Amino acid sequence: MLRYIIRRFLQMIPTVIGVIIVTFILFNLAGGSQARSALGERASVEALEEYDEIRGFNRPLLFGWWTRTRALEDTSFEHNAGFWRDVKGAAHYPPEGKLASRVHLKPGLMYEIPLAFDLREDASYRLRIRYRTAPNSTSAVVVKTRTGVDGTAGTEERETRAKMNPSAKWQKVDTLIESEENVASRSFFVEVGGTDIEVESISLRRRMDSPWHSQFTFYLLQIAHFDFGVSSSTNQRVSDLLRAGIGPSLALTIPIFVVGLFASVSLSLVCAFFRNRFVDRFFVVVAVGLMSINYLIFIIAGQYLLAYRWELFPVWGFESWRYLTLPVLIGVVSGLGSSLRFYRTIMLDEMYRDYVRTAFAKGAGKKNVLFKHVLKNAMVPILTNIVIAIPFLYTGSLLLETFFGIPGLGYLAINAINSSDVDVIRAIVLIGSILFVVANLITDISYAAVDPRVKLP
Amino acid sequence: MTELATQELPQHQSWWGETFRRLAAGKLNLFCLAVVVAYTMLACYGEYVYFASRAADKTPTYNIPDIGVKYLPPSLFRSRTAAVEGVKPTAWEHFLTHPLGTDGLGRDVLQRLIQGTRIAFRVGIITSLIAIPIGVLLGCLAGYFGGRVDDFVVWIYSTFASIPGLLFILAIAMIAGQGEKGVYLGIGLTTWVGLCRLIRGEVIKHKERPYVQAARVLGLSSGRIMFRHILPNVFHIVIVTFTIRFPAAVGTEVILSFLGIGMKGEPSWGVMISNARLQLWQGIWWEMTFVTLAIFFLVLSFNVLGDALRDALDPRLREDSTS
Repeated sequence: MLRYIIRRFLQMIPTVIGVIIVTFILFNLAGGSQARSALGERASVEALEEYDEIRGFNRPLLFGWWTRTRALEDTSFEHNAGFWRDVKGAAHYPPEGKLASRVHLKPGLMYEIPLAFDLREDASYRLRIRYRTAPNSTSAVVVKTRTGVDGTAGTEERETRAKMNPSAKWQKVDTLIESEENVASRSFFVEVGGTDIEVESISLRRRMDSPWHSQFTFYLLQIAHFDFGVSSSTNQRVSDLLRAGIGPSLALTIPIFVVGLFASVSLSLVCAFFRNRFVDRFFVVVAVGLMSINYLIFIIAGQYLLAYRWELFPVWGFESWRYLTLPVLIGVVSGLGSSLRFYRTIMLDEMYRDYVRTAFAKGAGKKNVLFKHVLKNAMVPILTNIVIAIPFLYTGSLLLETFFGIPGLGYLAINAINSSDVDVIRAIVLIGSILFVVANLITDISYAAVDPRVKLP
Repeated sequence: MTELATQELPQHQSWWGETFRRLAAGKLNLFCLAVVVAYTMLACYGEYVYFASRAADKTPTYNIPDIGVKYLPPSLFRSRTAAVEGVKPTAWEHFLTHPLGTDGLGRDVLQRLIQGTRIAFRVGIITSLIAIPIGVLLGCLAGYFGGRVDDFVVWIYSTFASIPGLLFILAIAMIAGQGEKGVYLGIGLTTWVGLCRLIRGEVIKHKERPYVQAARVLGLSSGRIMFRHILPNVFHIVIVTFTIRFPAAVGTEVILSFLGIGMKGEPSWGVMISNARLQLWQGIWWEMTFVTLAIFFLVLSFNVLGDALRDALDPRLREDSTS
């Protein structure tokens, strides 16, 4: 038995890793700039950078030394000059006969690279310029990039030169600011000697302390510490939000689950008892009908008719158990259709088994067979269904909680989605998935405890 | 010898013919099929209106507000004097102007319902076009090759199956940019798991059948065996899955659009419900009622048809009937 549990436990690990990878892909890779959608279009660059810093989004994705920084967004000069518009003396126009345009720099001028905010003192930066000489020029060119105050000569000056023969080949020149360098102003200057140059792109990268300091390891460490980050809309810790939400969610979902289970199992027994008679047919039709009504309609109609028009229940809020009765009722009724059909099929499957025929043959009454034999044997699929449903209790009911103002995890999730609150959604998705995997594990182990055949590989 | 001669050979019937005959055995099934066809035609008409107004670069009529006729009840529920123009129309004209009433901006509910049908069909079809190929392809590969490939596919789908459904869809829709594309991707990328599982199981069974072994002995390529020989034999699963997932996708779209993550600017049923819900509290019942009925009949017909198709296409039941 122990060996089986260990084996089954090891099988669980790949799925958990899979869930972690999927959530990572979903929120880090595919998401693009979450900062903008969370903080809005008008947010300052510093705020965006801080948002990324807290969530580890300003690191390399998987592995690497260099990472982007919002101090200087990567710009391709093909379509517009970008930040380069503000730089004195630089021109932006297409080369002769070409549609794509470039930024042109003239010799003899000193251009300061416009940074959105001061660079961090504890980090090294690299500025990379890709350029070429203008196609018609013949003389040699020197591109200097400098750092320090005004780029003037002095102790704070640092110079990188790139010499090249006049040709139309793309060249690059890198300049570094080391973290230890004690410069008054950490900024970059470009100076061109000889002839005009045409700039294709300018990029600024920050150097990480270790190539392993990536978004992925950041995420894994967060999970290992059970720390799910900070909500961007309320600035509370996500773990606190989850802790506050789980109570109301369970207060709603557990009654729905228990009452729904009891109702659908007993109705399915009634159906099995009256198989193919009027009562059975009636319930089958009702079940198909209930399944065809949209979940939203149940909620809207219930809230409007039962609570608002007929004033049987409170309309909105979460103050006492009375506020939960209507949501629970709606939850039970909306789920009744599919679960009634499901359990009815299970009961009818059991009705055809040999042991049922034997029981009837030895003279047991219909009621006796149904409750003593069929129900007992049907318990196995019913239990599976119960255990599998348990993780979904935790996420609560997104819609019910939103409509009735129950401050649970579903309410939290909907608000988080509306405000693009990545950490909250990611945490809820992750925990929900892991609970599901664990519930599966528990089901399998309890099967093995009951039925020795399961343990065979 | 004489026995053979007198024995009537069963008339040849095509696969679809046989399926239809079994389906048509129930009157209710035929009725539901007719309802689905009617909805399909409405959706096509809606597509036509949509593209015609786009081609003419005009705001489509179902989106033009007309405050003068806002909150007009359905024509059967309003007196003839309260007509639009002030001139008393004939009974027939009265009946045909805004037959299902108007909403808070004076837009015709019937036209918007037809557009909602169009969007529902788009959602049902496009999400199926995303989910079904993924499920079929992965299921075939896993079932046919087994081993590492199978392990990999099982790993992927058990991962997807572990993630809470609606939240997963919402998260994808949010990331893909809230709107039409987000709805398609969200629903399409998450709902292939069940089909993949079923196809995988069936392919594993078929792999050992003599016809597959014969094809292998003939030296046919794996791709050809999988997709030309095995797939047609398990294709009934795809059809049943389509009829079951179609209404589910429509229902999910309604919820997404209602939450404001789905369709924008176009009158999807979810958007209509979200508008009508606020009006309901003021006693404007018609928009909500008609949207509810529209969704109900479409989903009900698909549910009944799905059940009937499952029985009609089940190979075991077919063999029973011919033997």
